[in-house]
Amino acid sequence: MKTLVGLFLVLAVLVIVPAVEYAFAAGAEPGEYLDRRVVIWNLFFRMMTIAFVVGAVVSGTIIWQVWRFRESHPKAKPTPYEGTDW
Amino acid sequence: MVLELQKPRPIWQIMFSTHHTDVGLLYLIMSLGFLFLGGALALAIRAELFLPGAQIIGDAMTFNRIFTVHGTTLIFLFIIPFASAVGNYFVPIMVRYKDMAYPKLNAIAFWMIPPSGALIWLGFADFTWYATPPYSIISAPGPAADMWIFGLKILGISSVLGSINFVVTILKCKHPDMSIGQVPLLAWSFLSSSLIILVAIPTFAAALLMLLTDRLGVTGFFNPAMGGDPIAYAHLFWFTFHPEVYVLVIPAIGMMYEIIPRFSRKPIHSYGSGIFAFVLLSIVGFSSWAHHMYATGMSFTEKTVFMVGTLAAVPASALHVFNFVATMWNGRIRFSTPMMWAVGGIALFFSAGAGGVANAAMPLDFTTHDTYWVVGHFHLFVMGTIAFGSIGYLYYMYPYVTGRMYNEAMGKVHFVMSFIGTVLVFFTQHVLGLYGMPRRIFDYPPIPEWIAMNQIASIGAMIIGVSMVIFLVNMVYSSGKGKPANPEDPFGVGGKYYYPFEAKNPSH
Repeated sequence: MKTLVGLFLVLAVLVIVPAVEYAFAAGAEPGEYLDRRVVIWNLFFRMMTIAFVVGAVVSGTIIWQVWRFRESHPKAKPTPYEGTDW
Repeated sequence: MVLELQKPRPIWQIMFSTHHTDVGLLYLIMSLGFLFLGGALALAIRAELFLPGAQIIGDAMTFNRIFTVHGTTLIFLFIIPFASAVGNYFVPIMVRYKDMAYPKLNAIAFWMIPPSGALIWLGFADFTWYATPPYSIISAPGPAADMWIFGLKILGISSVLGSINFVVTILKCKHPDMSIGQVPLLAWSFLSSSLIILVAIPTFAAALLMLLTDRLGVTGFFNPAMGGDPIAYAHLFWFTFHPEVYVLVIPAIGMMYEIIPRFSRKPIHSYGSGIFAFVLLSIVGFSSWAHHMYATGMSFTEKTVFMVGTLAAVPASALHVFNFVATMWNGRIRFSTPMMWAVGGIALFFSAGAGGVANAAMPLDFTTHDTYWVVGHFHLFVMGTIAFGSIGYLYYMYPYVTGRMYNEAMGKVHFVMSFIGTVLVFFTQHVLGLYGMPRRIFDYPPIPEWIAMNQIASIGAMIIGVSMVIFLVNMVYSSGKGKPANPEDPFGVGGKYYYPFEAKNPSH
């Protein structure tokens, strides 16, 4: 889990920080507002791509494990905690 | 053992008790009553929108009243009191204390809710659960609006009293042998959500007073005709009610933390990350309120800050999901009714979260603002995650509360129908929003796509409605005629339950 958290934080930094930097890279001069819109749309599409990829992986994992780890599955075996007062 | 319905007592003895399980039972029954009342209003809304034109409600004002009371009821009179019911039953047991820290205050906090519910229902205000100014100040008819304001005021005080009780019980009354790092995650969820309430609610309490004095004509805080600004109300409201979303969802996640390890037959994968995620959610919940107001002329910089603040909730929410997935991994999962609700809740939590990520981004927010996308997103969270977690936990605690088992087949039918209905209603509403249908409208033009999607959503709502009837029959019938539960292990999955078998019922 620590590895997962670490990986997630690294990904978040890699995606969000550069995107915010891009968004603020443009100056306050007139006419540059449109550039910011482009940048923010770009950020949006990247976020949505990440969200849907992660969502598909996690949802698929949940569906698979619901099928695989159900107690009626032929390969189901007792967990190490069964029979203890965990 | 405390089995209120198995060991009958005069009703007044339970009503005037200050014992935590008795107060919990009162919270439970009242919140379920309001669930059915608020749900009936939802069915009326969906029946009205089945086709364009007036169908069953008749006029727009009545329609506005119905969805105002529907939202207010289900948020303030079902979800929050239901969480209080669970907290009252289990938090003292989990921290190994005889009762809540302040039992009388606990009973007072409960008894403030029925009068406020009566004010809200007898008034039947029409200005949405947001009490939209300046309409709510200038022309919302009284005394309905004033009754709503007073009702919410009393509910706010009740929430604050309840939260103080939870915080003190967990931090000061836990067993001396128990460190805060050993308190179960369900109790941690109550600690987190109670702290959010204590920080967030006073702002709305002030806003309500300002709204009331504006209505009385004494002040003009939110009245443009008197130099006020309705957007100021939006900031005050959302400063309270965006964190409030986490107040609603965090206890539901805490309930899943009890159910999923139990039915996976192994402990939670990472206790520490669960605590970390609760604390993180409690903090970042305050960094995102203005994402409700992107369309009100905020600067680009402000919008970016609140967009990033909103996205900060994603890692915390994802931690919970990963924790659940890792817990179920290599388990031997029994899909009893509570587990089905919990796993369904996780799946819908993820879907609702993905919609939230999209919504947090300014470009899409401008497209979807005030459309049915927002209705779908919010309801997917509230129904798909919070209600699913809560109902799953209700099945989980049912043997403890009644001493009897519910009917498992009916419980599973209830879940399957509710899951299908929820997907039909709220996923469809997302698409309906992208097709441009505004929210909070009584009638709509006969656009074929709008009609088709409204009908799908209405059919989904009816499926949920039927499933709720099955649920009600199951709950009532099984409490008297269900099989006696095995108090040591009602679900036959082993392990140590946090069931308050040893709780006594002294009068305080």
